[in-house]
Amino acid sequence: MKHFIAKLSLCITVAAIFVTIGNIAKAEDDNRSFKLTAKAWDLLAEKKYDEALKVIETCEKLYGAQAKEMQKSLKEYPKNDPKEETEKYWALNDVGTCMYIKGEVLVQKGDKAAAIKAYKSCMNDYGYCQCWDPKGWFWKPAEAAKKKVVELEFDDE
Amino acid sequence: MNRYDHDRSIIKACALLVILFAIIQINASAAEAKKFPVPKVEMKKGAIPEKPEKVTLAKNKDGNWRVYVEGKELPIRGAGGAVLPGMLEQLKAAGGNCVRTWGIGTLEDKVAGDERFIDRAYRVGIKVVPGIWVQHERHGFNYDDPASINKQREHVRDCVRKYKNHPAVLVWGLGNEMEGPTSATGSVKVFKEVEELAKIIKEEDPNHPIMTVIASSTPAKVKSVMEYCPSIDILGINTYSSASGTGESLTATGWSKPFAVTEFGVSGHWEVQKTSWGAPYEATSQEKARSFYASHTLVFDTNKGKELCLGTFAFLWGWKQECTSTWYGMYLPTMEKLPQVDAMTKAWTGEWPKNRCPKIKELTSPVYGKTCKPGRAQTAYLEVKDPDGDEMSFTWAMMAESTDLKVGGERESTPPSFPELIQKGDGPDCIFKSPEKTGNYRIFVTVHDGKGGAATANFPFRVE
Repeated sequence: MKHFIAKLSLCITVAAIFVTIGNIAKAEDDNRSFKLTAKAWDLLAEKKYDEALKVIETCEKLYGAQAKEMQKSLKEYPKNDPKEETEKYWALNDVGTCMYIKGEVLVQKGDKAAAIKAYKSCMNDYGYCQCWDPKGWFWKPAEAAKKKVVELEFDDE
Repeated sequence: MNRYDHDRSIIKACALLVILFAIIQINASAAEAKKFPVPKVEMKKGAIPEKPEKVTLAKNKDGNWRVYVEGKELPIRGAGGAVLPGMLEQLKAAGGNCVRTWGIGTLEDKVAGDERFIDRAYRVGIKVVPGIWVQHERHGFNYDDPASINKQREHVRDCVRKYKNHPAVLVWGLGNEMEGPTSATGSVKVFKEVEELAKIIKEEDPNHPIMTVIASSTPAKVKSVMEYCPSIDILGINTYSSASGTGESLTATGWSKPFAVTEFGVSGHWEVQKTSWGAPYEATSQEKARSFYASHTLVFDTNKGKELCLGTFAFLWGWKQECTSTWYGMYLPTMEKLPQVDAMTKAWTGEWPKNRCPKIKELTSPVYGKTCKPGRAQTAYLEVKDPDGDEMSFTWAMMAESTDLKVGGERESTPPSFPELIQKGDGPDCIFKSPEKTGNYRIFVTVHDGKGGAATANFPFRVE
């Protein structure tokens, strides 16, 4: 009986370790920048604004520094052809896009001042970010953010 | 029936006809009275000279490409349309200076003052970019058929000969999206023919530059114009959600001649988010106004490539049914202007107009973009204010979702409306009954300031 209990404990411990490793791996997988960005878009569409802001914060925290480094290394938009040339700057693309989404979320929440700040961060900190549009081309969030800032300022007049 | 009765019957019938006629007249004048008057603008008097105004392209002192008319710089503050009577005057009053047409026939249309469009434009002080239609393959034109090609070439020559000496002409608008509006590359055959047509114009007219207009600044199309159309002086780009980035995308492709944004304004109905049943969400007039203002100021004053931008043409200076009755129009059929017009006045002149349109904050409803049961009472609410504090009145309407959707802005029929289902609609809140018949519908609201300004919003809903 003693033997059986020891074996059972060992099995449970091993299983728990596997589950934990699995969870860590899944969490790491879910925290990849492109997954966070996709999640932020989905939450914006579902109007789950506070959850979207949390996801964006995670993305910025994990990859913001790397994204800024990538931005500093560039003098112009990376080439779109081949697509991989643009995708090399994955952190910049995803964090920059997240900043744009943050602006959209904050507009929806009615916080114009914070939205302008987020859009300006997209323009100034991650200006060469690009986002793949499923229609078949790269879209430039910083350009769209620039338009949003002008629109928000126009609305105040 | 005796003679007396017979006469009485005739008298009765005549009296009835007179009353009927009077009622028709009263209704007609009431409908007329609903229209806001054409604004008074300064008009050139006397005979119109048969002498062209020489138009050139050059860089100004700031290094920006501009159109010069008899040596005088003219930044294009333009609009597409303005063909409905009174619209040229509205454009002038709003600060505009140029209009483009899609076809040459428009120049002959009778507008306010019973004058030809091109003559009225001259008198009002608006320059015209006459559109010379270049046939589309998607409409069945065969670019391999020499007879059709020759006929088109002669048509272009005739158009130029007819109008080249009119002083209102600014630039020739050779074709509109003839390369195929939904094509990423455009047809090489068509581009090569555009070059032949441009050469004909140059032979006939040394006084006006030539612009061709394509749908969007897709690199492949722009490269085709660069390669096959060296006689084109200006590239016109019709672009909606990407208008502000036009200069940047053109310069990135290597385009170095001047360009104009020839159609822009709100996001196209094919570009926006849709309901689960595919109905596009239309922006409120205030959201549209923001987009007009931002697109023009960014592409013309701020963004990379602005030095090539001659100006823009807001779409559409008037009204039309395209996807909905309000998607693209900057006016209502009552001649009331919408906030998009105020936005362009601000962008062009730096000043707001004297009377501003109401500003919509939000249109809400429990069935906004949702499905509901047939025959149930529903509500909607509009949050709106007037910047001048004018008293506002409201009109609510329900229409079936349009099913007659076309490509490239072609004429669409207006879907049926259901006024009997609006139960309360005289204020910012509305009570309406969902139709008994299942299908897709839309609720529209229009706010009027009583001084010629209005604002619009709508939302789709579905009955299942």
